[in-house]
Amino acid sequence: MSRLRLGFWLIAVPMSLLALATIYPLLFTANVAMKTRRDYILDRFSLTDALRWENISAAWNSVGMGRYFVNSLFVVTVSVLLLLLLGSMAGFALSQLRFRGSSALFLGCLAGLFIPFQVIMVPLARIMADTALIDTYPGLILVYVAQFLPFTVFLMTSYYKGIPPEIVDAARIDGNTVYGVYRRIMLPLGTPALLSVGILNALFCWNDVLMALVMMPSADHRTLMIGVTSLRGQYSDNIPTFASGVLIAAIPVLLVYLFLQRQIADGVAAGSTKG
Amino acid sequence: MRAERYAPYILVAPAVLIIVVLRLYPLLLGVNFSFTGDGAQNGTAVGFGNYRELFADPLFQTALKNVGLLVLLLPVAVAIPGLLATFIYLRVPGHRFYRSVYFFPAVLSPVIVGAIFNLLLAFDGPLNAVLGSVGIEPIDWLGDPGIAMFMVVGVHIWATFGMALVVFLAGFATLDPALLDAARVDGASLRQVVWHVIVPSLSRTIQFVFVTTMIGMLTSMFGLLYVMTSGGPEGSTYLPEFYIWKQQGQMNRPALASAASTILFMIMLVVGLLQIKLLERSGKED
Repeated sequence: MSRLRLGFWLIAVPMSLLALATIYPLLFTANVAMKTRRDYILDRFSLTDALRWENISAAWNSVGMGRYFVNSLFVVTVSVLLLLLLGSMAGFALSQLRFRGSSALFLGCLAGLFIPFQVIMVPLARIMADTALIDTYPGLILVYVAQFLPFTVFLMTSYYKGIPPEIVDAARIDGNTVYGVYRRIMLPLGTPALLSVGILNALFCWNDVLMALVMMPSADHRTLMIGVTSLRGQYSDNIPTFASGVLIAAIPVLLVYLFLQRQIADGVAAGSTKG
Repeated sequence: MRAERYAPYILVAPAVLIIVVLRLYPLLLGVNFSFTGDGAQNGTAVGFGNYRELFADPLFQTALKNVGLLVLLLPVAVAIPGLLATFIYLRVPGHRFYRSVYFFPAVLSPVIVGAIFNLLLAFDGPLNAVLGSVGIEPIDWLGDPGIAMFMVVGVHIWATFGMALVVFLAGFATLDPALLDAARVDGASLRQVVWHVIVPSLSRTIQFVFVTTMIGMLTSMFGLLYVMTSGGPEGSTYLPEFYIWKQQGQMNRPALASAASTILFMIMLVVGLLQIKLLERSGKED
């Protein structure tokens, strides 16, 4: 045992160094965001002498990071709510109800998992253009819903499979319609899964860049991540403001992570062990 | 009660419709599209013309070469989280802390990660400043065609290994602890435990991580490429997904982009089929 223990401390050193390498880039960025331009040019590493918020407010106001932030918040919220609604409806039916063609429909939903956006980007952009949905919020929301629905249906179906069918039968005997069972029983029972998959979907949509880039060409429809990509051109000579813009985009994710790490990891784990 | 008969279909319909119309149908449309012309030839059949042009394009050749590089680096990208998950599972002191720190970059957008590393790797940036202080000449990390792709892949691995780590830990949760105890009682070393107990019992998880890591490398590096190098220097950091976006959005060659999309899909199918083959083989061994 003692030899193994010594081995553990030998492992702990590289593991701590790796932990530092994981967290340092973000700390460095946060530190730079607080510095003045002059301080950054003089010394890249010195700890900031004060918490300065003017870089942050400059990034928020002048580059439009504030407006992009609101755009992202709106698109992500609506997308996630739709994903949870449609995913739980389908998941409930595919797991608890017996009907003709259910396994074929489930496989059809699953097939969507293996089609990445890059493969259908061109025809999808064309469909969106033909239906006048390109460069609109409903269009981008629809693209996000289509992108993450297969995963959501898959997770909700496997979660609802674990619920005993007697519960549905009992509720039916009590005079509930199928819709009543969904609303009164399945939605409340699905809360843990809905929370996990909802947070994961929110992260996916919030972090996306390619879909937003292809579907939202005009500047005032930009999402926050597209805003981040435009920072470099505007602030190549003002690194602290650039770092502030990056920080604005990272902070919401950091907060979600600090409070809901468990649920995120559970969602990832569920997606992998059920496969 | 008659109306109730259709209830399951009504519940499933919206999801199925969206998936069929916005995922499966575009796939067929795209393949079909790749055999038609661009520009003046819009809509006319050109047979394999786009594919011929694609494979003759040095940028696409580089993109395929880079896919080869990713395949070579794949074992590294799987081994790192695998080893770390093993140590965390064996309860290294501070394992909870390591777990949450390592997982964090995985939830950041590639765009944010790319922007942070643009800052760190800039020619006049902090990394070169550190190297300069010990007398090493500044290196153009993202401007040298020989190094840039390695830097981008390195950053991608740095940003995503936490995801694979969590998947590995989920696999470990299904492991029978009695096996480990037995190995310990028999006096097995850590290396023997990993090789003879952990790897065989986690073969499914390991394969799953291999495939998802590969798919991640093929389909989620766009943000990094776009922010860090934009395909440069000298087109050295092209990957198929970046090529598709460039041809569609910047070069106005949607049909050529569709051909590249179809090739990317074929690559992913091959990865998926290999996975199934491996699963069958390991199933026979059990």
